[in-house]
Amino acid sequence: MSIISVRKLSKHFKVFKHHRGTLGAVRNLFSRQYSIMRAVDEISFEIQAGELVGYIGPNGAGKSTTIKMLTGLLVPTRGDLSVNNLVPWKERQKYVGRVGAVFGQRTTLWWDLPVIESLSPLQHIYKIPADRFEANLNEFRHTLELDPFLNTPVRALSLGQRMRADLCAALLHDPDLLFLDEPTIGLDVVAKERIRQFIQKINRQRGTTVILTTHDLSDVEKLCQRVMIIDHGKLLFDGSLISLKERFSKKRELLVEFAEAYVEPNVDSAEVSLVDGTRVSYLFSRDEISASELIGRLSAKYRIRDLEVREPEIEETIRRIYEEKLLE
Amino acid sequence: MLKSLTLYRRLIGVQIRSQMQYRNSFFVEIAGTGMIALLEYASLALVFARFETLKGWTLGQVAFIFGLAELSFGLMDLIFSGFDPGYFDQFVRRGRFDQLLLRPINITLQVLGSKFMLRRLGKVVVGIGIVISAVELNPIDWTTLKVFLTSTVVISQVAFFGGLFIIGATITFWTVESVEVINIFTYGGSMMISHPMHIFPTILRNFFTFIVPAIFLNYYPALYILELPDPFNMPAYAPFLAPIAGFWMLFIAILIWRFGIRHYQSTGT
Repeated sequence: MSIISVRKLSKHFKVFKHHRGTLGAVRNLFSRQYSIMRAVDEISFEIQAGELVGYIGPNGAGKSTTIKMLTGLLVPTRGDLSVNNLVPWKERQKYVGRVGAVFGQRTTLWWDLPVIESLSPLQHIYKIPADRFEANLNEFRHTLELDPFLNTPVRALSLGQRMRADLCAALLHDPDLLFLDEPTIGLDVVAKERIRQFIQKINRQRGTTVILTTHDLSDVEKLCQRVMIIDHGKLLFDGSLISLKERFSKKRELLVEFAEAYVEPNVDSAEVSLVDGTRVSYLFSRDEISASELIGRLSAKYRIRDLEVREPEIEETIRRIYEEKLLE
Repeated sequence: MLKSLTLYRRLIGVQIRSQMQYRNSFFVEIAGTGMIALLEYASLALVFARFETLKGWTLGQVAFIFGLAELSFGLMDLIFSGFDPGYFDQFVRRGRFDQLLLRPINITLQVLGSKFMLRRLGKVVVGIGIVISAVELNPIDWTTLKVFLTSTVVISQVAFFGGLFIIGATITFWTVESVEVINIFTYGGSMMISHPMHIFPTILRNFFTFIVPAIFLNYYPALYILELPDPFNMPAYAPFLAPIAGFWMLFIAILIWRFGIRHYQSTGT
């Protein structure tokens, strides 16, 4: 069953023309010239209940505009959008009761209150039955390890602690859908890993649908079965991470360490990209030759000491998609 | 409705608990706010040390309307803290407003519950003190109607200036930053009505009679309560128009506010 259904969704903004300088500033007051910026341009997709989707794109690509429309903060210019069988911006109060959201570095908690006191008003705001609230709070206290700072004011928390407290706040009311905007931004490796594990757990155990935007592609690699790429308001890719790799990064790398240094250690169907003494790197394409075939050919000609097949980095693939506009 | 009230009480409770985290600064701020109000009153009282009356009004009479205006504005500033235009623009810019929209409760209720500046109590307390001293200086022949009218005046002024705060806050949806002009109406308006309106030039008085009907919020009720003659020959019901002036402003403000939210949702910031 799809929980989110988006058809030809667009959001256009008027960008008023800015004149520079002091005189320009005065002109700005009266000038109403503007151009249309297509922040989101006719994107369509469906998301099934229980999916964990990574939504990525460079800065200004239209990610947050899409999320704002999905969460009901923005009214679309055109197109259809239904989440949980509701139109978010039309039925805001009803809709947001079933949704959880953590927006980047902003906390939803009350800044000056201890964490526990900052969480308890949520019971009444979301009208959570007392037993559910208790059960969830106890569970999250354990899985997110909140206890050491439960009585610390929110303002005094570290970024990682604050993110954990915010995740707890976003999930106490058992939302069907969780929006995470940059959930690991600014965190150290250990904190990132902890947050990722928690997100995965929530998705698997509770079946919560999760949509996450991130700049850290390892978030996507470790968490998401599905990835959507947006740039210049257009949805460029929507599919699994594996199919993204297969489609765009056909070049794999074989690193070989030979027993001795050969002059021009060439082989068919692969190109030498780097020679460093006895270490040679070959680039080959999965369409032309498999890794084992290539190794077979090499070992027939040369003596090999060690080797390693490298898949292209997702980071690299995405960068190429943005820069070389592979999808347009 | 009852549920909303309970929720409002809880949100305010959160705000009060937050401010109690800084106990010392809380007391200092309350005292500071009270002191400012007191100094304003002192500078007014000093005028009377030199001149017997202010265009026919004694200190006791002026103190009565001055105190009422202080008390009401302080109370309004407390209740409508969340809509204070000078603070609301940052609230929107920092994305806090978006976060309120993500909660399944009425947005107006949430903005009201998002801030509760207890330090304004200093102004309220001083305002009450000034009204009491005014009655000492100039004994009033209290009737039930006069008591009722006095409390209505306070409520109406809270509604009136609360409405102006809401309008000022709504404007920031368009301007991003708070607009100074609104202060002319809020702080300027409050200062106007804390003085007898007949001391002002006709054009200014007319503005605050026919365009922004602030004259009915304090001056006319005071004429009735203090049993003073009406220098402008308004109809006999003029002293009782305060709630209409106050709640009309609040009503218009809520319409503008709703329109503002719709605009906000279609443009974002």
